[in-house]
Amino acid sequence: MSVDTRRAAPEVATDDRARVRRVGRGALFLVMVGVAVVMLYPFWVMVVDSLKSENQFLSGHGFSWASWRTLTSTIPIAQEVVSSTIICAVSILLILLVGLPAGFAFAKLKFRASGVIFLAIVSAMMVPLQAILMPEFVNITRLGLTGGYTGAVLVYAALGTPFSVFLFATYFRGVPDELIEAGIVDGLGYVGALWRLVVPIAIPAIATVTVLQFIQIWDDLLVGLLFIQNTSERPITVGLAVLAAGRTTSIPALMAGSLVSALPAMMVYLIFQRYLVKGLTMGIDR
Amino acid sequence: MTGSTLGARAPRLTLRRRRQLAGALFALPAVGLVAGLIAVPIGQAIYYSFTQWDGLTSTWIGPSTWTQAFHNPNLWTALENNAWLLLAVPFALGLPLLIAMLLHQRVIGWKIFRSIYFLPTAISWVVLGLVAERFFAYQGTLNSLIHFFGLAHVSTNMLGYESTALSALGITFVFTMIGTNTMLFLTGLATLDTSLEEAARIDGAGRWRIFRHITLPHLSRFIQLAFVMTVIALFSALFSLIFVMTGGGPGYATTTMEFLIYQTGFAQGDFGTAALYGLILFVLTAIVGIVQLRLIGSDE
Repeated sequence: MSVDTRRAAPEVATDDRARVRRVGRGALFLVMVGVAVVMLYPFWVMVVDSLKSENQFLSGHGFSWASWRTLTSTIPIAQEVVSSTIICAVSILLILLVGLPAGFAFAKLKFRASGVIFLAIVSAMMVPLQAILMPEFVNITRLGLTGGYTGAVLVYAALGTPFSVFLFATYFRGVPDELIEAGIVDGLGYVGALWRLVVPIAIPAIATVTVLQFIQIWDDLLVGLLFIQNTSERPITVGLAVLAAGRTTSIPALMAGSLVSALPAMMVYLIFQRYLVKGLTMGIDR
Repeated sequence: MTGSTLGARAPRLTLRRRRQLAGALFALPAVGLVAGLIAVPIGQAIYYSFTQWDGLTSTWIGPSTWTQAFHNPNLWTALENNAWLLLAVPFALGLPLLIAMLLHQRVIGWKIFRSIYFLPTAISWVVLGLVAERFFAYQGTLNSLIHFFGLAHVSTNMLGYESTALSALGITFVFTMIGTNTMLFLTGLATLDTSLEEAARIDGAGRWRIFRHITLPHLSRFIQLAFVMTVIALFSALFSLIFVMTGGGPGYATTTMEFLIYQTGFAQGDFGTAALYGLILFVLTAIVGIVQLRLIGSDE
C-alpha cells in the first residue's frame, strides 16, 4: 500500500488534478444553474399562472390565453401603465431639474453654509417616508394635490432629490475648475456653464439617477396608494396591490398584470445595468 | 503696483460674490423641495405626536400621548416583529456574498448568470409579494416541493398562521435583497487585486485562509454598506410585501413599525399616534443612517 502507483507517474497526477478541476468547474456550473432557477422562479410563476383560465388554475390542469384575452376588462391595465409612465417621467424630470443645478452649486459654486446645507440634504436620504407619512399626507391633501398626479410627483421628487444631489455633487467635484471659469470668462454665465459645459459631461450620472429613480418610482406602492385619490389615475403597482388585497380577483389575471408591470422595469434594468451598479456603489467605489 | 493689485482684486471679489449668489440660487429649488416635503413634516410630526389628531383638528394633549403609546401592546408587537426580522439580515448578506464569490469564479456564461441573478431587482416588491404568496400558498410551490421530496403528509400554510407568517415574510425579504447585495459584492470583488490572491496561493495559503484574510477584509466597506442598506430596507421597504402578502396579519403577526404607522393612521384614523410611531421609526433609521453617513463621509 505504501507504493503509490500515482506518485511514480507524475503525468497521471497532473491529469488527475485537471480532472478534479474540471469536475469542480462542472459542479460550480450546476450550482449556478440552480441559483438561476431560484432567481427566475418569479417569472416562471407569472408566466405559467397567467396562461390559465380561472377554472384551469383552480383545477391545476390545462393552459389557455383566457386570462390574457380578458386582461383589459379585469384590470384597467392600459390606463394604469399610462399613469405609471406619466408619474415616472414627470418625477424624474423634476428630480433632474432640481438636482443638477444643486449638485453643481454644492460642488463648484460654494456659498455661505453650503457645506452644512449639503450635509442636511444628504441626511434627508435616510428619512423613510413612513416616518413623516401623516403630516405629509395631511399637507398634500390640504393643498388639494391628491386629485391628479401632482401630489405623488412632488413626494417622489422630494424623496429622490437628496440622492441625486449627492450623486451629482460627487460627480461634479471631478470637473476641473478651469473649465467652468473659462466658460464664465467666455460670457456663458452660470446657467450657460451648467447647461452647455457641465450637463453634457454629466450624462452617465444623469443616466444613473434616471435608471435608479425609474425603477424606484415604477415599483413603488405607498406613495401612489395614498397620494393619488382617483382610482382612474392609479399607477399599475397600486392597481395590482389593491386587487390582490381585495382577494376577489382571479390569480391568473393578477399574474398577467404583474408580468405587464414587471416588463418595463426589467427592460430598463437590462439595458442600463451598469449605471445601476454605479449608482449603488457611489461613494465607496473609488 | 498697489493700484493694479487693488484694481484686480475688486472685480475678482465681485466675481466671487456672483459665484456664491449663483450657487445659492442653483441650490434653492432642491433645498426648498427637501425642506418643504421632508424637513417641515418632521417638525410637524413632533408637534402632532403630542396631540390628539384625526387629520382635521388637533388638540394638544402633551407628553402623556407618549406614555400612552408605550403602553400600547401593538407598538411592542411591531417592534418585536422588526427585531425578529433582523435575523434575516445575516442571510440577506451571506447568500449574496456566496453568490458573488461563485460569479467571481467566472465559469462559462457567468455574465448571463449575473444578469439573471440581478433581474428580480427590477421587479416591484408588490409583484414579488404576489409571487411569494403563490409560493407559500396551501396549493403553492412550497408544498409541491415538500411532496416531491416524499413528505406527502406534510402541508404548510406559512402565511396563514401567526407562528410562521413572519418567517415567510423574512424569507421573501431575503430573496428580494439578493440581487442588490450580490451586485454590491461583485463590484467589490472586481476591485480586488488578483495578484494578492495569487501571491497568497503561491505562498501555500488555502482557499479559506485567502478568503478570510484577503477577500473579506477587502470587501469590508461593501459589506458595511450592504448591511446598512439591508437594515434600512427592513425597516422601511417591507410595506409592499406586507400589504400584498398578509395585510399585517394573521392578528398582528407581520405588523412591523412601518405597517403599524399606516394602519394606525389610515385604518384607525388616529393620526396623532401614527405620527408618533413615525418618529420612533425615524429614530431607529437615524441610528442606522448615522452609520451610513460615516461610511460615505470617511471617503471624502
